[in-house]
Amino acid sequence: MSKVVVLGAGISGHVAASHLRRKLGKNHEVLVVSPNSNYQWVPSNIWVGIGRMKSSSVLFPLKPLYQRKNIGYLQSKVIQFHPEGDLEINKPFVLVESVEESSKGKLEKITYDYLINATGPKLNFEATEGLYPGKNKTFSVCTYNHADHAWENLLKLIGEMKNGKNVSILIGTGHSKATCQGAAFEYILNVEQELRRHKVRDKATITWISNENELGDFGMDGMLLSYGGKQIRSSEMVEMVFSERSIKWIVGAGVYKIEDGVAYYENLAGEYKTEFFDFAMLIPSFSGHGFKAYNKLNIEITEQLFNGFMLVDADYTSKPYEQWKVTDWPETYQNPNFSNIFAPGIAFAPPHSISKPRISPNGREIFPTPPRTGMPSGISAKLVADNIIDLINDPKTTLKHKGSLGNMGAACIASAGYGLMEGSGISITTFPIVPDFEKYPTTHGRSIKKTFGEIGLAGHWLKLALHHAFLYKAKMRPFWWLIPE
Amino acid sequence: MQTKFSRTQKFFMMNPFIQFVRFIILSIKILIIVAGGHGGTRRV
Repeated sequence: MSKVVVLGAGISGHVAASHLRRKLGKNHEVLVVSPNSNYQWVPSNIWVGIGRMKSSSVLFPLKPLYQRKNIGYLQSKVIQFHPEGDLEINKPFVLVESVEESSKGKLEKITYDYLINATGPKLNFEATEGLYPGKNKTFSVCTYNHADHAWENLLKLIGEMKNGKNVSILIGTGHSKATCQGAAFEYILNVEQELRRHKVRDKATITWISNENELGDFGMDGMLLSYGGKQIRSSEMVEMVFSERSIKWIVGAGVYKIEDGVAYYENLAGEYKTEFFDFAMLIPSFSGHGFKAYNKLNIEITEQLFNGFMLVDADYTSKPYEQWKVTDWPETYQNPNFSNIFAPGIAFAPPHSISKPRISPNGREIFPTPPRTGMPSGISAKLVADNIIDLINDPKTTLKHKGSLGNMGAACIASAGYGLMEGSGISITTFPIVPDFEKYPTTHGRSIKKTFGEIGLAGHWLKLALHHAFLYKAKMRPFWWLIPE
Repeated sequence: MQTKFSRTQKFFMMNPFIQFVRFIILSIKILIIVAGGHGGTRRV
């Protein structure tokens, strides 16, 4: 009998746990440890943040589902990793602290045979002075609670606009190395459409602010894509969308401080500037959770597991941008020092960014860190689960299931406005996610046949269909496993 | 470079009949790419 412990119940952790449970015999134990009591379908938080979807529609409680499916569940947060055990327990374990009301603060050592670290990122609001959801007129849509709060305040602002007030709205990235530009991109377009729906669009100046060097970088170094039978750059596509919607933009901006209604930023030319706003939604930087690891003698060995995020089978050698290769990216998400630990999804440490690093004359790094959206998170989690199942069945086996971001496609279906007949979506499909300049030297590292863009109502329907399909899958309803990650 | 969408492009984007066809095509194209497999990049 083997015990697999999954840390985290987001897209990655939940996918891993559900596949493990489906494929492993009942004599094996699957235990999920997560501080969150609910599963949330994060991509739909955008619609919660514009009041077009209730937060209850994007989440469900984990405990009853896991009870039904024979998956163990602890509402706890991991504090320490002990991959060799300690002097008391001769087995690897994680130290966790309960966050459940009835046992809050209780510490427990959870042993494992295999460990999946799917703890995702820490939303590092502290990295930007004054940036915190609900403070200084800034908001977030990173969680359903944040999105609810953002909508409450946006609704108040719409009320003021109806009374004749002119306002400024700022949406984008709140740190010089933030990622997840796609979420902010969706939100700005949805907010713009909602203002039109409320007939107050003429009262608002809407501005995009981002650490991208140019529009449409999305932390993926931009794309050359086929659109309407032509080849265009993603920057041109986004510029057309923003021009159409009268959205202004500021790029190459590293936001470093927020005060009440003021964003301070430095641009790539080294100029220090400010932008005033009445409402802002700024994505924070992501960081690791600051976990510590210890060996059997209780000596700290954090550097064997983490460099912020978890170390996996990537090439972390420091080298200049020109020498980056697609082979630097991990394939199995296995920790190189402890072969029974894996980190799919956002929890693994990327070898480097995908976008070209850029530094201002004053030394500030201003570029997006790599995005890892739901699709690669799900795919990497499933392949980790499959490899663990193989290892349980034959501990001497080599890892057969591989999935590098350099050999994996992703579809980014960005909502550009809600509504069954008046909605819109921008679908950008890329292959591969990390450009492979050796394989595709003339098309910016990607297959032009598989990298395409599409704008229109169909994109909105698709995003809505995915919302329902992935929640169905996450709830493990009949034949859920037929829906691909 | 084109800076705004033409009237024809806008019509295509929002016409429900055309978009229904696009929805089917787009779903299939994405499914082929995403479910079409993934793998490593290193030679072993």
